[in-house]
Amino acid sequence: MNSRIRHLSLALIALFGVLFIQLQRWQVFDRSELEANPRNNRLTLREFNSPRGQIITADGVVIAQSVPVTDPESEFKYQREYPEGDLFAHVTGYYTLNYGSTQLERVYSDVLAGKTAAQQIASAGDLFTRDDTSGTVITTVRADLQRVARRELAGRIGSVVAIDTRTGAVLAMYSNPTYDPNLVATHGNSTGDVLLALQEDPEKPLLAHTYQERYMPGSTFKILTTSIVLETGTISEASVFPEETEWTPPNTDNPIQNYGGKPCGGDMIIVFARSCNIPFAQTAVNVGPDAMVNGVRAFGLEEKIPFELPGAATSTFGGTAESFKDSLALLAIHGFGQGSVQMVPMHMALISGAVANNGTMMRPYVVAETRYNDGRVLSRASQNTWRQVMQPATAATLNRFMQEVVNSGTASCCLQLAGGIQAAAKTGTAQLNPEGEEERSHAWITAFAPADAPRIAVAVMLKGVDAEISAGTGGRLAGPIAKKVLDAALKVIPATPSETSPTTSAP
Amino acid sequence: MDKTLGTLRRRAELGLVIGAGIITSGAYTLASLGENSSIPARIVPFLLFVMSLLLVAHIAVRYLARGADTVMLPVAALLHGIGYVMIARLSDRLAGLQATWSFVAIVAFVLTLLVVERVSDLVRYQYTALALGVGLLLLPLVPGVGFASGGARIWVSIGPINFQPGEFAKILLAIFFSAYLADRRELIREGHVRIGPFTFPELRHLMPILVAWGASVVVMVGQRDLGSSLMFFTLFVVLLWVATEKTSYLVVGLGLFALGAVVAYNLFDHVQTRVSIWLDPWSQYTESGYQPIQALFAMANGGMTGSGLGLGNPSSIPAAHNDFIFAAIAEELGLVGGTAVLAGFVLIVGAGLRTAIRAHRDFEKLLAVGLTTILAVQTFIIVGGVLRVVPLTGVTLPFMSYGGSSLVANYVLLALLLRISDSTARSVHEVPDTASLAERWAQRQARARVAAKVMS
Repeated sequence: MNSRIRHLSLALIALFGVLFIQLQRWQVFDRSELEANPRNNRLTLREFNSPRGQIITADGVVIAQSVPVTDPESEFKYQREYPEGDLFAHVTGYYTLNYGSTQLERVYSDVLAGKTAAQQIASAGDLFTRDDTSGTVITTVRADLQRVARRELAGRIGSVVAIDTRTGAVLAMYSNPTYDPNLVATHGNSTGDVLLALQEDPEKPLLAHTYQERYMPGSTFKILTTSIVLETGTISEASVFPEETEWTPPNTDNPIQNYGGKPCGGDMIIVFARSCNIPFAQTAVNVGPDAMVNGVRAFGLEEKIPFELPGAATSTFGGTAESFKDSLALLAIHGFGQGSVQMVPMHMALISGAVANNGTMMRPYVVAETRYNDGRVLSRASQNTWRQVMQPATAATLNRFMQEVVNSGTASCCLQLAGGIQAAAKTGTAQLNPEGEEERSHAWITAFAPADAPRIAVAVMLKGVDAEISAGTGGRLAGPIAKKVLDAALKVIPATPSETSPTTSAP
Repeated sequence: MDKTLGTLRRRAELGLVIGAGIITSGAYTLASLGENSSIPARIVPFLLFVMSLLLVAHIAVRYLARGADTVMLPVAALLHGIGYVMIARLSDRLAGLQATWSFVAIVAFVLTLLVVERVSDLVRYQYTALALGVGLLLLPLVPGVGFASGGARIWVSIGPINFQPGEFAKILLAIFFSAYLADRRELIREGHVRIGPFTFPELRHLMPILVAWGASVVVMVGQRDLGSSLMFFTLFVVLLWVATEKTSYLVVGLGLFALGAVVAYNLFDHVQTRVSIWLDPWSQYTESGYQPIQALFAMANGGMTGSGLGLGNPSSIPAAHNDFIFAAIAEELGLVGGTAVLAGFVLIVGAGLRTAIRAHRDFEKLLAVGLTTILAVQTFIIVGGVLRVVPLTGVTLPFMSYGGSSLVANYVLLALLLRISDSTARSVHEVPDTASLAERWAQRQARARVAAKVMS
């Protein structure tokens, strides 16, 4: 029997040999293929169960962090937490296992998870201690200004954007409606339902309305028209416009009226400050479709805002030179920001910022710096020009025009800053309803301050969803919000630009 | 010299057993560190518990089977320990239950050594073993007692206890077969019926074997337990082949297997399902293919050196603590750890077959072959199923999977292998052939009788 037993042992060892070979197949030879399989969420899961760094605002408030899960039965080790709730939803975004991530959580995922090459190399010595390599992201956005924005919007649907005119750093970007990312980033099964409900909400709370949505700008668009016509020399500062109540553009019978149907006219600076419509309609037609279309392109219209957060919207003039040649009437109303002109709120702030910044429009950014786990700086934001949108001389002229808006014009009610600081602004009341229907209008303002040495530019936009907002003007509705944001920002943003750093030290 | 050899064997075993205990405790600590970055709170009680279980088992061998093989108990203990650490890492609740089962298993191990002091005792109970074995095998089919879980009707519920009688039936049937074949191997070998190139024994000699084989068919058909059925069948064929030394049995066995496989495939949906998952799990990902694919992902995630204990995600494989524990181990310990586990099983199987070769009596030889074959085939069926070498059929991985029946039965199996190995050592005078407890009791009774006679 012994020889049979020996044969048996050979056979059994052969069987185990097969197992061993097959084990190598899955763990070595087919490994990368299996890891790359789209159904394999283990890499995500591995990342999901690794420490993930904090997102901290410029004023040192933690707006995203991972806390250890205390429930021993949970299969997850960390829970992502957003201590400020809905205040920074559109900055941090959310981080989920099965539904991906958005905003900074997505764009800076590698830094937060410690997966960038620099972080990996820095931690190579810690191979056996498995130190936490996660990184920290410091935003340019400030919690104090976000809170002011939220408070002043007071639940109304709309956007507030504040930027540093000199650098393009976004200081505040808050919009209603928003959502609480804590409800999305749970480990439970509710994430899908919560997201679905948010997606189906007609007011789109998941969207950062500050830069992912565009609206009819109304008279705030006159900044662009004025810049274009001044630079083409069609008119000058000295131009005078007669008091008119109506003007009928070429090829149409529909006359254009001023806001509220009142007569309006005067010096260039006066028609700008009073926000007459007819002069801008006339000048837009005079300068012609080509110059207008090329002119607005110079401001970055028809181009996605070059922002580091995903999904930026594109501002648009709403037509080509050819299409306006066929209909100068359309060009006329587009000249004062009506019709199918659409502007992204952040873009409006950038345009004010360009007027403030001698015609140079900075590229907006939201991350000031990233840090290693031990607090050392990993990368620092660089400040870049997006485009030179006008001559410095034109910018100086517009600066004066916009100051006049605050001093005697449509914003005179509401933009007297604390400490007597001079602001410069342009209001807008974008009429949405066709004639004869119920009044609906967006209320806009874009402003910067101090007018003589600008630091901060803001854009505030209230969506015309109800009669209350639609009854008001940009100056009266959006003006007070802009004032509060500017006051608060001027207090905390120093006159000499410094490397933006949070006031607290990194952990 | 006699005394020294036994002492040396036991001393080596003690060292290895302590090593297994230390590795287990170390792995337990690492798993906790990996999972929670903290030393487990109960590490000291855990260490004491593991060490005392192992020492109890070792002392039992030292006093009851001092000539037995050295490596089997430590390797089994190591596999048991690694399996336990993985179960504890997957679920606290199951860890508590498995700890209780570990205790019961060690008790069963000691009791087996204590009760079965002479292997030859078992021969006398061969028909009892057959009756009990077949009875246990059929028990899950009894209405009211048996119940199905996970598709297979292999469970029995008596009072508060649920168990899988098949785990014990395999040992009883191995005992019966070995005893039966040891008695009749000549008769069966010198077959009288000739069909073509093959000779077969008379039908009456084959009857008990056919009964047992029939039982295994019942297992497959009635309980839908393909794995166990294959295991029993392999046991019968291997024992027949080894006992009779006739390759024809192997050939006929393979033929019967092939026939059975084809018939089963055509008759039963669940067999077709298993085969189609085996061939292409990807097309059934959302349903029955999910589990094996998650196991593949787990193993790929582990790679060469594994994710580290407590650092992988084996919990994403359904039933990772049970049928798929090997995938969980391969994920966290990698190819290195998975290979080590396979090597552990090869060591036990090797030691079991060495025991068989060294054994002098036919019954002991065959029983060692039978028990080792069960262990090896069961391991191959489940690991092969996880690795997609063969279609997946749910059997437990000996010593490692969660489950009381399996753990207790395999420790009993281990005790029997050690008993056979000890018996051989005694018969070749490697260790003194001291009287067993029962024999000493009989001697005392005899002396008492003599004394009583003298007194009177």
